[in-house]
Amino acid sequence: MDKCIACGTCAEKCPRKVTDEYNAGLGKRKAAYVKFPQAVPLKYVIDKDHCIYFEKGKCRACEKFCPTQAVNFDDQDREFTLEVGSVILAPGFEPFDPGVYDTYSYSHPNVITSMEFERILSSSGPFEGHLVRPSDHQEPKKIAWLQCVGSRDIHHCDNGYCSGVCCMYAIKEAAIAKEHAGADLNTAIFFMDMRTPGKDFDKYYERAKAEKGVRFIRSRVHSIEPLPGTDDLAIQYVTEDGRITEEVFNLVVLSVGLQISKDTLELAEKLGVEIGDGRFAATSPFQPVQTSRTGIYVCGVFQSPKDIPLSVMEASAAAAESATLLAPARNSLTRKPPELSEKDVAAQEPRVGVFVCHCGVNIAGVVDVEAVADYAETLPGVAYVERNLFTCAQDTQDKMKQIIEEHNLNRIVVAACSPRTHEALFQETLKQAGLNKYLFEMANIRNQGSWVHMNEPEAATEKAKDLVRMAVAKVALQQPLGEMQLGVTKSALVVGGGIAGMTAALTLADQGYPVTLVERKDVLGGHGRKLYSTWDGQPVAPFLDELIKRVEAHPEITVLTKARITDVQGFVGNFHTVLDVDGQRREVDHGVAVIAVGAHSLKPDEYGYGKSDRIFLNLDLDQAIGERDERIVTARSAVFIQCVGSREPDRPYCSRVCCSHSIENALRLKKLNPDMDVYVLYRDIRTFGLRENLYKEARARGVLFIRFDLENKPVVQVASDGTLKVTVKDHVLQRPVVLTPDILTLAGAIVMRESEADELAKMFKVPVNAEGFFLEAHAKLRPVDFATDGVFVAGLAHYPKPTEECIAQAKAAASRAATVLAKDSITAGGVVAVVNKDLCCGCQGCVQCCPFGAIDYLEREGKCEVNQALCKGCGTCAATCPSEAITLLGFSHLQLYAQIDEALSA
Amino acid sequence: MVNATRTASSNPIGSVLVVGGGIAGVQAALDLADTGYFVHLIEKTSAIGGAMSMLDKTFPTDDCAM
Amino acid sequence: MQNPFEPKILAFLCNWCSYAGADLAGVSRLQYPPNIRVVRVMCSGTVSPHHVIHAFQRGADGVLVAGCHIGDCHYLKGNYMTLKRMKFVQELIRFAGYNPERFRLEWISSAEGVKFAEVVRDFTEKVRSLGPAPSFEASPRLAMGL
Repeated sequence: MDKCIACGTCAEKCPRKVTDEYNAGLGKRKAAYVKFPQAVPLKYVIDKDHCIYFEKGKCRACEKFCPTQAVNFDDQDREFTLEVGSVILAPGFEPFDPGVYDTYSYSHPNVITSMEFERILSSSGPFEGHLVRPSDHQEPKKIAWLQCVGSRDIHHCDNGYCSGVCCMYAIKEAAIAKEHAGADLNTAIFFMDMRTPGKDFDKYYERAKAEKGVRFIRSRVHSIEPLPGTDDLAIQYVTEDGRITEEVFNLVVLSVGLQISKDTLELAEKLGVEIGDGRFAATSPFQPVQTSRTGIYVCGVFQSPKDIPLSVMEASAAAAESATLLAPARNSLTRKPPELSEKDVAAQEPRVGVFVCHCGVNIAGVVDVEAVADYAETLPGVAYVERNLFTCAQDTQDKMKQIIEEHNLNRIVVAACSPRTHEALFQETLKQAGLNKYLFEMANIRNQGSWVHMNEPEAATEKAKDLVRMAVAKVALQQPLGEMQLGVTKSALVVGGGIAGMTAALTLADQGYPVTLVERKDVLGGHGRKLYSTWDGQPVAPFLDELIKRVEAHPEITVLTKARITDVQGFVGNFHTVLDVDGQRREVDHGVAVIAVGAHSLKPDEYGYGKSDRIFLNLDLDQAIGERDERIVTARSAVFIQCVGSREPDRPYCSRVCCSHSIENALRLKKLNPDMDVYVLYRDIRTFGLRENLYKEARARGVLFIRFDLENKPVVQVASDGTLKVTVKDHVLQRPVVLTPDILTLAGAIVMRESEADELAKMFKVPVNAEGFFLEAHAKLRPVDFATDGVFVAGLAHYPKPTEECIAQAKAAASRAATVLAKDSITAGGVVAVVNKDLCCGCQGCVQCCPFGAIDYLEREGKCEVNQALCKGCGTCAATCPSEAITLLGFSHLQLYAQIDEALSA
Repeated sequence: MVNATRTASSNPIGSVLVVGGGIAGVQAALDLADTGYFVHLIEKTSAIGGAMSMLDKTFPTDDCAM
Repeated sequence: MQNPFEPKILAFLCNWCSYAGADLAGVSRLQYPPNIRVVRVMCSGTVSPHHVIHAFQRGADGVLVAGCHIGDCHYLKGNYMTLKRMKFVQELIRFAGYNPERFRLEWISSAEGVKFAEVVRDFTEKVRSLGPAPSFEASPRLAMGL
């Protein structure tokens, strides 16, 4: 494996073609292959099950042609015995195999799974990103998606649960398909309930409907029939108002669900890990990543069906659990990375290497990359130019290192995508090659080139040349930058004493880090105090009491109630926060902060709320049922109205918990009095994941569900004698239904009070979104981090979510925070401002304008000086200085002027 | 109840086995490595990345999954 | 036949908001005219009047400076500095005999890919309608040594 240079000769020479699993069976690979071009590790392997040599005892073509003698046919499976402190199970899922749906014609080439469709859309897929159908490679004009294939289905399979991701990916696939094929592409999604209950998910759904024109058809399709004499497929379906309709599509995508594979179940059995509902690992909402076996944790889809951000969150939570369990052994087995030496190139003439990326067809499909590369060769200081299919690929990094050494390059320009996403990757390569990582520049010829000038290839090519010329001119003026190490205050500040805040505090404290827990109110518990039970019926109060007790008794946790943050100074590893604790000023030094300030329940201003004591919010109903309130006990009929204040034009998000909460309460009412008439008026029932069981049970117990539209909301009238009248238009009957419930429950939204969040956000320099929820660094991959280092988010402050997700997220935030606290020092320096004292006249304009107080005036010298530890590298001082005595390293005046000159020289 | 199943050893082993090299396994491994534990990350296929590496783009930001 | 006038537009975009907004415009495949050349700066507050004037001096037909919305600056108040400075720049350009519409200051967040594309489209058309900027030498006041 060490000898393989991933040249691909083995795959080229291998005579055996095999169905490619990576392309979901749509393409072919060889028996000697690499899984995908960006694979890590980037090593070719031989598929023993299909290799001709292993079948027939001869061939060995790959071995013969391999330039590095990396092929070893004698390699055997080897057994390893590892001694570990804990195990984290992240085995993932298998996409449901729709072959068992005998009426869906899955054997037809143009009936494909969503995974196959992903590969068709992908530029690294079987058709290089051209949207064509498998049968005749023609561009489809009409595509249908069928939802809930292998989900919410106990007839064809045993998957009663909702897979929780298919609605989102289907909308995404339809929207991207339209991007590929143009607005004329007809896309239809057949669904039962549209389940988009995550952060910003509903906005995407609404956009797909309104702007992209994706059709959404509420119907479960019975069968897909091939249309004789064509490659098309006919779908017959019943509309909501009962009409039978048929439509013909060129391609049908089955939105297959997620399920746990046999292998995983066998592994679980071997490990003694209990399996629960839906064949997912059994866990409790209060310990969402703890399996039935001590020391074994679970995350991702094996825990329950979920999307990427939740998987990432749980992964961090599982890491936190392991870290807590193994805290006494921290750093006992880790190895230090080797110190990389850096070549001194400061005095050398620039020898710039330029790497021009094709990004598959992303760039090369528009920009003439060959012309750009040829042009780069003519630029002053350029010593080497090459083009890469994917400059970011691991093999290109290895090659780049080699080239830097072979050609003695001392500056690198990559013309590709955005430095915001890829600068760090290439800088690491420079470091590996012994170059100071700042001797690097990117020319953004994709996001700000090929992608925005798709119809102007010539102009895009000219622009790319200009951008490369600017980058080369800038990097030639770049000098190596030094960095320094700053200490880390190994303690945390957790803001908010609800379930999320307390969980984060305990998780860090259990790892030995001191924590200050700040709560605005005079008691801990937050929103959790109002919760009756988790969705699966476990009482919250005993858990909360225990949690509060543990927090208050923990020697590493200082609880400050009636406390408010008034000022935050410093930066990752070195925060200094001022608090007002019941009128007293208090100061805390801490290395990290977790924001878990929670959210609020909306007090509705519609549906007669406040006009009758028989109109409840779910949280009030929880309490009333618990207390066997007279109004509940005597009620003969109950109505729930969903989406109160959620999914409205001015609050365009789903509050995620209300469907389950209402159905939970509907079931409790039914259990209290099985004869009670219980109605749930809803827009989409969003009982994602295993919560679907609740929905199933509710229907089985006779809870009636009536759907309404935003345009036809129910009308509530409170008569003078206090009777309630609810009128709603039934979509099946197509006429208004009048209900006269004894109790009415409104499923109100979860909202942020923006002023509160805003104030905190400003002090910690973190953003909030349009709805006032804190905005994480990356929606998928950094769900609990902020762009600002050392600050993390958990709980409702991030987005409405149920208890188990709050707990997982809090543990995740603690895990991410611990990655800072585990370090002894943090690197500073690099892009900071410096004063050329020869030019400084001591006017102190810079001292005034620095937002961070990082510049001091040295009385004795009459000059100014920058404190590099405090400097954040904005460069505001550099623009203020009348004599340009201050410059921002990496963005110096000379470099800016050079870029301007080059930009305008063409 | 909060820690009903945890019986922490005072002398544990400072390494963790992560089973599965998809996005969850990779994140768990990174966090643990960054907090001072040695990680064995095992993956059945020849490359890490799991299902996410097969996705074209991701919801709701349309970021490239790769 | 003479080529139609294609304006040269230089843009200074802050790393955290406007450059990210420009990236997002790309991710969203929003199309805009290719006349713009971007200089990435860490904060719009690092753009000095010298830089803007230098651009006009070197033949820019229009200059765009874009940063985070007021209140959203990654560096807290860098863009307040930008606001003050660019008001000054506007006056300076007018004084130098340039149409001040050749200069534009915009706040574009990392989520505003659409706005970025719109601003570029609009500004490009504006500058196109103004025609080529007078050369540096043609502006006696600038030539006097600004």
